[in-house]
Amino acid sequence: MENVVTHEDWKACFCQHAPGLVLFARQWVRTPADAEDIVQEAFVRFWRKQRSPENRALLFATVRSIALDLLRRDSRRARREADAFLETEQTAAPSFDFDNGSQRALADAVGRLPREQREVVVMKIWNELTFADIGTVLGISQNTAASRYRYALSALKRNLVPHE
Amino acid sequence: MNDFSELEAELRKLRPIAISDELTARVERALAEPPISSTPTSAVSRRKPGSIDWRFLGFGLAAAAALMLLAKVGNDRPASNQETVATLTPPPARVITPASPGKFIPTGVTQVVYHARDEGLVFTDGVENPVRRLRYRKRETMQWQQPETGASLRVSYPSEEVVLMPVSGQ
Repeated sequence: MENVVTHEDWKACFCQHAPGLVLFARQWVRTPADAEDIVQEAFVRFWRKQRSPENRALLFATVRSIALDLLRRDSRRARREADAFLETEQTAAPSFDFDNGSQRALADAVGRLPREQREVVVMKIWNELTFADIGTVLGISQNTAASRYRYALSALKRNLVPHE
Repeated sequence: MNDFSELEAELRKLRPIAISDELTARVERALAEPPISSTPTSAVSRRKPGSIDWRFLGFGLAAAAALMLLAKVGNDRPASNQETVATLTPPPARVITPASPGKFIPTGVTQVVYHARDEGLVFTDGVENPVRRLRYRKRETMQWQQPETGASLRVSYPSEEVVLMPVSGQ
């Protein structure tokens, strides 16, 4: 029985998508280590089922599902995270490599976006999912996903004006 | 969308931090291990469609049974007293009919869904395609009534239902 995928297949897929997946997972956890744990579990589960880099929406949905389950499983942690999200929407700011100050300002602005807009931006910009895929991941229509994306970009543009 | 093209280009210049080699090694080790159907730390629970939380249901049914037993004992007490008084003549045979006096008749069951949550896509055992998991929290109420006296009995308990809806992939 062919139960093991080739080394090259999974590794190529993982290396291509993992940075974006970790960035996506960071929205629900505070540390990169937690995000990597989520991505590891999600990718292993996804690959065992799919054995193909196709259907990336499912991969992201798996990451999201595991992240939300992680929060639910540990009630104290969930409360802490929920409180953190209530206090500020920038607790899970995406992690980027900065080349200059303007990029840092842009990353900070992304981190200040409402979470429902930020997750759409993360999937669209850094993971190149279609709005249809994003809608599948989030359980919303693709029009809603596109709308959230436009709101996010409008907010970013508005917030970045003073820095330019 | 032209208004945002410049901003989108700037955003794309931002690169997510690269993953560690350790993460890749961990994934490799995990993929090499035989799959475990359900681990304690498994984040996605595998429950059958329409399954309910038996703790709540058992609790509720136990309470209902206890209350019905109490009601039955209370209704039987006058009859047993009459039997001890009527010692010279044989007591009339008690006819148990569906409409016998003192019997509580079910009058209704209601289910109120007070919380519904879409938990996203999950995998289930033996199925290739993912399903969407919906979790409903409900309060179920059962009612009985005694036709002669109008006395009513109501038992209410919380329940939880998880529904797995098939979704079509693209």
